[in-house]
Amino acid sequence: MRLILGGRAQGKRAYVQNTYKIRAEEFRAGETEAFEELREQRAFDSFHLWVRRKYEEGAEVMELTKRLLAANPDCIILCDEVGCGIVPLEHAEREYRELVGRVQILLAERAVSVERIICGISQKIK
Amino acid sequence: MTVLVYGGSGSGKSAYAEQTACKLAGDGPLYYLATMRVYGAEGREKVKRHRRMRAGKGFRTLECGDGLTPVLRETGGTAVLLECLSNLTANLMFPGDAEEPKTAAAVAAEITEQVLLLAERAAHLVVVTNNVFEDGNVYDSGTMEYIRALSGVNRNLAERADIVVEIVAGIPVFLKGAGL
Repeated sequence: MRLILGGRAQGKRAYVQNTYKIRAEEFRAGETEAFEELREQRAFDSFHLWVRRKYEEGAEVMELTKRLLAANPDCIILCDEVGCGIVPLEHAEREYRELVGRVQILLAERAVSVERIICGISQKIK
Repeated sequence: MTVLVYGGSGSGKSAYAEQTACKLAGDGPLYYLATMRVYGAEGREKVKRHRRMRAGKGFRTLECGDGLTPVLRETGGTAVLLECLSNLTANLMFPGDAEEPKTAAAVAAEITEQVLLLAERAAHLVVVTNNVFEDGNVYDSGTMEYIRALSGVNRNLAERADIVVEIVAGIPVFLKGAGL
Protein backbone atom coordinates (compact mmCIF):
# COMPACT_ATOMS: atom_id res chain seq x y z
CA MET A 1 0.00 0.00 0.00
CA ARG A 2 1.09 3.53 -0.75
CA LEU A 3 -0.11 6.49 1.30
CA ILE A 4 -0.62 9.92 -0.26
CA LEU A 5 -1.20 12.80 2.18
CA GLY A 6 -1.70 16.52 1.75
CA GLY A 7 -3.93 19.49 2.35
CA ARG A 8 -7.11 20.08 0.44
CA ALA A 9 -6.86 20.51 -3.35
CA GLN A 10 -3.10 20.00 -3.56
CA GLY A 11 -3.26 17.78 -6.64
CA LYS A 12 -3.14 14.37 -4.95
CA ARG A 13 -5.45 12.64 -7.43
CA ALA A 14 -3.73 14.08 -10.52
CA TYR A 15 -0.36 13.06 -9.08
CA VAL A 16 -1.54 9.50 -8.50
CA GLN A 17 -3.11 9.27 -11.96
CA ASN A 18 0.11 10.37 -13.64
CA THR A 19 2.63 8.65 -11.45
CA TYR A 20 0.95 5.32 -10.77
CA LYS A 21 -1.14 5.09 -13.97
CA ILE A 22 -4.49 4.95 -12.20
CA ARG A 23 -7.50 5.78 -14.38
CA ALA A 24 -10.13 8.23 -13.11
CA GLU A 25 -12.77 5.46 -12.89
CA GLU A 26 -10.52 3.34 -10.68
CA PHE A 27 -10.72 5.79 -7.75
CA ARG A 28 -13.19 4.75 -5.08
CA ALA A 29 -14.85 7.76 -3.39
CA GLY A 30 -14.67 8.28 0.39
CA GLU A 31 -17.77 10.50 0.28
CA THR A 32 -20.09 7.68 -0.72
CA GLU A 33 -18.55 4.23 -1.07
CA ALA A 34 -18.35 1.40 1.47
CA PHE A 35 -14.56 0.98 1.40
CA GLU A 36 -14.77 -1.74 4.04
CA GLU A 37 -16.68 -4.02 1.66
CA LEU A 38 -14.37 -3.62 -1.35
CA ARG A 39 -11.59 -5.98 -2.40
CA GLU A 40 -8.57 -5.73 -4.68
CA GLN A 41 -9.09 -2.06 -5.44
CA ARG A 42 -6.29 0.13 -6.75
CA ALA A 43 -7.09 3.53 -5.25
CA PHE A 44 -9.14 4.92 -2.36
CA ASP A 45 -9.73 8.65 -2.63
CA SER A 46 -10.80 11.09 0.16
CA PHE A 47 -10.05 8.50 2.81
CA HIS A 48 -10.73 11.08 5.54
CA LEU A 49 -14.35 11.33 4.39
CA TRP A 50 -14.80 7.57 4.71
CA VAL A 51 -13.29 7.88 8.22
CA ARG A 52 -15.80 10.62 9.01
CA ARG A 53 -18.79 8.55 7.88
CA LYS A 54 -17.63 5.48 9.80
CA TYR A 55 -16.91 7.59 12.89
CA GLU A 56 -20.41 9.08 12.72
CA GLU A 57 -21.87 5.55 12.49
CA GLY A 58 -19.95 4.66 15.66
CA ALA A 59 -17.86 2.02 13.84
CA GLU A 60 -14.43 0.78 14.97
CA VAL A 61 -12.52 2.73 12.34
CA MET A 62 -9.07 1.35 13.18
CA GLU A 63 -10.32 -2.25 12.87
CA LEU A 64 -12.16 -1.52 9.62
CA THR A 65 -8.99 0.07 8.26
CA LYS A 66 -6.95 -3.03 9.06
CA ARG A 67 -9.54 -5.18 7.29
CA LEU A 68 -9.48 -2.87 4.31
CA LEU A 69 -5.70 -3.23 4.08
CA ALA A 70 -5.96 -7.01 4.28
CA ALA A 71 -8.49 -7.06 1.43
CA ASN A 72 -6.63 -4.48 -0.69
CA PRO A 73 -2.94 -4.98 0.05
CA ASP A 74 -1.62 -3.18 -3.05
CA CYS A 75 -3.86 -0.13 -3.03
CA ILE A 76 -3.05 3.58 -2.97
CA ILE A 77 -4.77 5.62 -0.25
CA LEU A 78 -5.29 9.36 -0.65
CA CYS A 79 -6.10 11.20 2.57
CA ASP A 80 -6.42 14.90 3.40
CA GLU A 81 -4.55 16.40 6.32
CA VAL A 82 -7.29 17.74 8.63
CA GLY A 83 -5.48 18.30 11.94
CA CYS A 84 -3.44 21.43 11.19
CA GLY A 85 -5.88 24.10 12.33
CA ILE A 86 -7.42 25.62 15.43
CA VAL A 87 -8.80 22.87 17.65
CA PRO A 88 -12.60 22.88 17.11
CA LEU A 89 -15.02 23.71 19.91
CA GLU A 90 -17.24 20.66 19.34
CA HIS A 91 -16.18 17.42 20.95
CA ALA A 92 -17.11 15.26 17.91
CA GLU A 93 -15.07 17.48 15.57
CA ARG A 94 -12.04 17.19 17.83
CA GLU A 95 -12.42 13.43 18.06
CA TYR A 96 -12.77 13.09 14.28
CA ARG A 97 -9.57 15.08 13.62
CA GLU A 98 -7.67 13.09 16.20
CA LEU A 99 -8.99 9.85 14.70
CA VAL A 100 -7.88 10.79 11.17
CA GLY A 101 -4.41 11.43 12.60
CA ARG A 102 -4.32 8.04 14.35
CA VAL A 103 -5.52 6.24 11.23
CA GLN A 104 -2.86 8.02 9.18
CA ILE A 105 -0.18 6.82 11.60
CA LEU A 106 -1.42 3.24 11.24
CA LEU A 107 -1.45 3.56 7.44
CA ALA A 108 2.01 5.14 7.38
CA GLU A 109 3.45 2.30 9.48
CA ARG A 110 2.14 -0.28 7.04
CA ALA A 111 2.79 1.62 3.81
CA VAL A 112 5.69 0.86 1.49
CA SER A 113 5.84 4.57 0.74
CA VAL A 114 4.36 7.77 2.16
CA GLU A 115 4.26 10.94 0.08
CA ARG A 116 3.01 14.38 0.99
CA ILE A 117 1.67 16.41 -1.92
CA ILE A 118 2.20 20.16 -1.73
CA CYS A 119 1.29 22.33 -4.75
CA GLY A 120 1.17 19.15 -6.82
CA ILE A 121 4.73 18.23 -5.87
CA SER A 122 5.46 15.00 -4.05
CA GLN A 123 7.65 15.06 -0.95
CA LYS A 124 8.56 11.46 -0.20
CA ILE A 125 8.72 11.03 3.57
CA LYS A 126 8.88 7.23 3.69
CA MET B 1 20.50 20.50 22.73
CA THR B 2 17.07 22.02 22.04
CA VAL B 3 14.54 20.22 19.84
CA LEU B 4 11.26 21.75 18.66
CA VAL B 5 8.61 19.19 17.66
CA TYR B 6 5.80 20.55 15.46
CA GLY B 7 2.67 18.92 14.07
CA GLY B 8 -1.12 18.80 13.78
CA SER B 9 -3.65 17.02 15.99
CA GLY B 10 -3.12 13.27 16.17
CA SER B 11 0.11 13.45 14.16
CA GLY B 12 2.13 11.43 16.69
CA LYS B 13 4.22 14.36 17.90
CA SER B 14 3.94 13.42 21.60
CA ALA B 15 5.29 9.92 21.01
CA TYR B 16 8.18 11.27 18.94
CA ALA B 17 8.99 13.95 21.53
CA GLU B 18 9.02 11.37 24.33
CA GLN B 19 11.39 9.10 22.42
CA THR B 20 13.70 12.02 21.72
CA ALA B 21 13.66 13.20 25.35
CA CYS B 22 14.44 9.66 26.58
CA LYS B 23 17.34 9.39 24.15
CA LEU B 24 18.75 12.74 25.24
CA ALA B 25 18.35 11.94 28.94
CA GLY B 26 20.26 8.66 28.74
CA ASP B 27 20.49 7.50 32.35
CA GLY B 28 20.10 11.02 33.73
CA PRO B 29 17.00 12.63 35.26
CA LEU B 30 14.07 13.37 32.96
CA TYR B 31 11.27 15.84 33.59
CA TYR B 32 7.89 16.19 31.94
CA LEU B 33 6.43 19.67 32.12
CA ALA B 34 2.65 19.47 31.75
CA THR B 35 0.72 22.55 30.68
CA MET B 36 -2.85 21.43 30.12
CA ARG B 37 -5.60 22.80 32.31
CA VAL B 38 -7.86 19.82 32.63
CA TYR B 39 -11.55 20.40 31.95
CA GLY B 40 -14.15 17.64 31.85
CA ALA B 41 -14.00 13.99 30.89
CA GLU B 42 -12.25 14.51 27.54
CA GLY B 43 -9.41 16.42 29.21
CA ARG B 44 -9.04 13.75 31.87
CA GLU B 45 -9.03 11.04 29.20
CA LYS B 46 -6.26 12.85 27.29
CA VAL B 47 -4.16 13.18 30.44
CA LYS B 48 -4.69 9.47 31.14
CA ARG B 49 -3.65 8.49 27.61
CA HIS B 50 -0.47 10.60 27.79
CA ARG B 51 0.32 9.20 31.27
CA ARG B 52 -0.02 5.65 29.94
CA MET B 53 2.34 6.54 27.09
CA ARG B 54 4.91 7.91 29.53
CA ALA B 55 4.55 5.15 32.12
CA GLY B 56 7.77 3.30 32.86
CA LYS B 57 9.94 5.75 30.92
CA GLY B 58 11.25 7.54 33.99
CA PHE B 59 9.55 10.93 33.62
CA ARG B 60 8.96 13.07 36.68
CA THR B 61 5.92 15.26 36.02
CA LEU B 62 5.69 18.91 37.04
CA GLU B 63 2.60 21.03 36.43
CA CYS B 64 3.48 24.25 34.59
CA GLY B 65 0.15 25.51 33.29
CA ASP B 66 0.79 29.04 34.55
CA GLY B 67 4.39 29.40 33.41
CA LEU B 68 7.84 27.88 33.65
CA THR B 69 9.51 30.16 36.18
CA PRO B 70 8.66 28.01 39.25
CA VAL B 71 10.38 24.91 37.82
CA LEU B 72 13.60 26.44 36.47
CA ARG B 73 15.64 25.53 39.52
CA GLU B 74 14.47 21.92 39.81
CA THR B 75 14.98 21.13 36.10
CA GLY B 76 18.43 22.70 35.90
CA GLY B 77 21.00 20.33 34.36
CA THR B 78 18.39 17.68 33.44
CA ALA B 79 16.59 16.55 30.29
CA VAL B 80 13.18 18.21 29.96
CA LEU B 81 10.14 17.58 27.81
CA LEU B 82 7.77 20.56 27.66
CA GLU B 83 4.32 19.75 26.28
CA CYS B 84 3.00 21.93 24.83
CA LEU B 85 3.30 25.55 23.73
CA SER B 86 -0.25 25.76 22.41
CA ASN B 87 -1.65 25.18 25.91
CA LEU B 88 0.87 27.43 27.58
CA THR B 89 0.10 30.21 25.11
CA ALA B 90 -3.66 29.84 25.66
CA ASN B 91 -3.20 29.79 29.45
CA LEU B 92 -1.12 32.95 29.53
CA MET B 93 -3.22 34.75 26.95
CA PHE B 94 -6.60 34.01 28.50
CA PRO B 95 -5.73 33.74 32.21
CA GLY B 96 -9.26 33.98 33.60
CA ASP B 97 -12.63 35.69 33.31
CA ALA B 98 -11.62 38.69 35.37
CA GLU B 99 -8.49 39.62 33.44
CA GLU B 100 -8.19 41.20 30.01
CA PRO B 101 -6.54 38.98 27.40
CA LYS B 102 -2.93 39.99 26.73
CA THR B 103 -1.67 40.92 23.28
CA ALA B 104 0.02 38.39 21.00
CA ALA B 105 3.30 40.27 21.14
CA ALA B 106 3.33 40.36 24.94
CA VAL B 107 2.50 36.66 25.29
CA ALA B 108 5.01 35.61 22.63
CA ALA B 109 7.76 37.62 24.31
CA GLU B 110 6.91 36.26 27.77
CA ILE B 111 6.85 32.60 26.70
CA THR B 112 9.92 32.91 24.51
CA GLU B 113 11.88 34.34 27.41
CA GLN B 114 10.75 31.57 29.77
CA VAL B 115 11.49 28.75 27.32
CA LEU B 116 14.91 30.14 26.41
CA LEU B 117 15.78 30.38 30.09
CA LEU B 118 14.62 26.79 30.56
CA ALA B 119 16.72 25.70 27.57
CA GLU B 120 19.75 27.50 28.89
CA ARG B 121 19.57 25.87 32.32
CA ALA B 122 18.48 22.37 31.29
CA ALA B 123 20.93 19.88 29.82
CA HIS B 124 18.48 19.12 27.01
CA LEU B 125 15.07 20.46 26.12
CA VAL B 126 12.41 18.98 23.86
CA VAL B 127 9.45 21.28 23.20
CA VAL B 128 6.15 20.18 21.64
CA THR B 129 4.14 22.73 19.69
CA ASN B 130 1.12 22.66 17.42
CA ASN B 131 0.39 23.47 13.85
CA VAL B 132 -2.89 25.42 14.16
CA PHE B 133 -2.19 27.56 11.12
CA GLU B 134 -3.55 25.75 8.09
CA ASP B 135 -7.34 25.59 8.25
CA GLY B 136 -7.77 28.91 6.43
CA ASN B 137 -10.67 29.94 8.69
CA VAL B 138 -11.23 33.44 10.02
CA TYR B 139 -11.97 33.42 13.75
CA ASP B 140 -12.94 36.01 16.36
CA SER B 141 -10.27 38.57 17.21
CA GLY B 142 -9.17 36.74 20.37
CA THR B 143 -8.48 33.53 18.46
CA MET B 144 -6.71 35.39 15.65
CA GLU B 145 -4.52 37.04 18.26
CA TYR B 146 -3.84 33.63 19.81
CA ILE B 147 -2.74 32.27 16.41
CA ARG B 148 -0.32 35.19 16.06
CA ALA B 149 1.02 34.63 19.58
CA LEU B 150 1.69 30.92 19.05
CA SER B 151 3.23 31.63 15.67
CA GLY B 152 5.52 34.18 17.31
CA VAL B 153 6.65 31.69 19.94
CA ASN B 154 7.21 28.98 17.33
CA ARG B 155 9.28 31.25 15.11
CA ASN B 156 11.37 32.59 17.99
CA LEU B 157 12.14 29.12 19.28
CA ALA B 158 12.73 27.62 15.83
CA GLU B 159 15.42 30.25 15.32
CA ARG B 160 17.18 29.18 18.52
CA ALA B 161 16.56 25.41 18.38
CA ASP B 162 19.21 22.97 17.15
CA ILE B 163 16.58 20.72 15.59
CA VAL B 164 13.10 21.58 14.29
CA VAL B 165 11.06 18.59 13.20
CA GLU B 166 7.54 18.32 11.82
CA ILE B 167 5.70 15.07 12.50
CA VAL B 168 3.48 13.86 9.65
CA ALA B 169 1.52 10.62 10.21
CA GLY B 170 4.11 9.64 12.81
CA ILE B 171 7.03 10.29 10.43
CA PRO B 172 9.64 12.93 11.32
CA VAL B 173 10.27 15.51 8.58
CA PHE B 174 13.28 17.65 9.51
CA LEU B 175 12.92 21.38 8.90
CA LYS B 176 16.19 22.28 10.62
CA GLY B 177 19.04 19.99 11.66
CA ALA B 178 18.86 16.19 11.43
CA GLY B 179 17.61 13.27 13.51
CA LEU B 180 19.47 12.09 16.60
